[in-house]
Amino acid sequence: MTALALTSSLILMLMLRQRIVIMLGFAAAFSYLAWGDGEISYVVLDMWAAADQEVLLSIPLFILAGNIMSRGSIARRLIAIMREATNGIPAGLGIATVLSCAFFAAISGSSTVTLIAVGSVMYPALLDAGYTKKYALGALCAAGTLGIIVPPSIPLILYGVMTETSIADLFKAGVGPAILLTLLMVTYSVIVNWGMPRAKFSGRAVLKALKGGIFALFMPVLILGGIYAGWFTATESAAVAVFYAVIVELFIHRDLTITELKGTAVETATMMGSLFPLLMMALSINTFMSYEQVPHALVELMSTWISDPTSFLLITLGLLLIVGFFMDIGSAILIIAPLLIPIAIAQNIDPVHFGIVMIANLELGYLTPPLGLNIIVAMTAFGEDFWVIAKAVIPFLLLMLVGLLIITFVPELSLFLVN
Amino acid sequence: MELARKFLDNALKVEKFITLSAFVVMTLVIMGDVFSRKITGLGIIGAPRIAVFAMIITALVSFGLASDKRRHLRPKFADDWLPESWDPILIRLQELMTAGFCLVFAVVAVGVVAETYALEETSRMLRIPVWPMQALIPLVFFIAALRHAIYGVFLNLRPTVEDASGIESVPQSDGVKVSEESAT
Repeated sequence: MTALALTSSLILMLMLRQRIVIMLGFAAAFSYLAWGDGEISYVVLDMWAAADQEVLLSIPLFILAGNIMSRGSIARRLIAIMREATNGIPAGLGIATVLSCAFFAAISGSSTVTLIAVGSVMYPALLDAGYTKKYALGALCAAGTLGIIVPPSIPLILYGVMTETSIADLFKAGVGPAILLTLLMVTYSVIVNWGMPRAKFSGRAVLKALKGGIFALFMPVLILGGIYAGWFTATESAAVAVFYAVIVELFIHRDLTITELKGTAVETATMMGSLFPLLMMALSINTFMSYEQVPHALVELMSTWISDPTSFLLITLGLLLIVGFFMDIGSAILIIAPLLIPIAIAQNIDPVHFGIVMIANLELGYLTPPLGLNIIVAMTAFGEDFWVIAKAVIPFLLLMLVGLLIITFVPELSLFLVN
Repeated sequence: MELARKFLDNALKVEKFITLSAFVVMTLVIMGDVFSRKITGLGIIGAPRIAVFAMIITALVSFGLASDKRRHLRPKFADDWLPESWDPILIRLQELMTAGFCLVFAVVAVGVVAETYALEETSRMLRIPVWPMQALIPLVFFIAALRHAIYGVFLNLRPTVEDASGIESVPQSDGVKVSEESAT
């Protein structure tokens, strides 16, 4: 009866167009009142405890670093390198598009920003070079999604926070799957565009492009290399990223002014304003559920149906695919990860590997109607019809599904750097 | 209404200043800690705690920035469940409900802060009382309550949709920051 009251209230709030943060806050308060000690003040205490974590520092700082780097001419510089480096190869421009997205994603940490930044240059270039509109749209939308699995990635950090998994390990584990997905897209690009005219390769042009973009290329190397070598923690690497981005954009590329830097910081803070209260409320519900041993009960319940890791992983894949249709990745991780992780651990699945599976799975949600964010953004950015783009991404979606299955059932692909 | 507009403008200015300063502190303190550790072998005492407090300040204060840009995530799929002609009243209700929740949380948070003050809780590393930091929670919720109440009463002061496509608002983090109008 109490559960029904909570569900009805949430549906009513949904109809009254409430924000998720308010709905989560209500759910947390209701849970403490109805099933806990009757004290709403625990929600506030949980919120404080949720925010008071060093590990969270990496989120605003990585977002800030990505935003700073995305403001300047990084995309143009990276694209120049990739274009020059792939000249002479069959489907060179297609490969350059995918690689530009992968590298830019590693810097910006954002799928949609990657799509816009790379797409604004590469979409017209691909069409001019004779590539089909279907391929161009599909490649940009799909390769744009690499941003959430290529480290440093905010969804990976969120998963780490919600499940108490090492963020440094998650970053290392993201490398293999990111390379796999990139390779799959590159291979597909070569196969479907084999007959496209090739530009002439010039070593001198590559060197010139490298000179202009070397600092952008170096950023992911610095971050991942620094973490891997033990120079700094994942949290500290975020501050290093901000520092590096400011130095490069302000003094080397000189693409950013102090005023723009301030604007970028405010923009980043605005993003935090929508993310952090949500995170705090979600962690409050998480704390309540742990206190009431909900995950434990869930594990017991599920263990009667699920006998082996394979069936659990298959059920999870199906569930997350459906979730990806209707929910944004941040909310999905905040709400679902804490529920699934105890079951995954009970099935002897490595939590780091499970995190990668979850993120790679939710990544598909960027390309699936009705709420595929990359489709919506591409629609606005390239002025194309929603369903034209939705159809264009289908081959890539299938490729990514193949990639997802490999990532899911070959844990070594994710864990080889971690172990 | 002029007073309400002035309040919103000034609150925004203060929020921007505080979040900017907190970002500078966060970055410099952690960088200083890393450099100091590499050069002298010793980190700055309490640096991570200072950075965490700066982050909490940013996280809480920026709630208002997100409200000002209508960036709080909102599930949109149920928007058609009620007749379109109800929209004006629904918008008011949405804002006033948000204001009500924020007010309740603010009042509850005052109690929590009072308890922390009475218990004389201190940060172990920095040896400073925790309650002034915690006091930000009720303050932020009070301001949010006031802000959304103003939006509910004076609809023309409510921010217009800034980025329906979510283009500007999606970082990262993706999925993490989706504009309110393009949300889940």
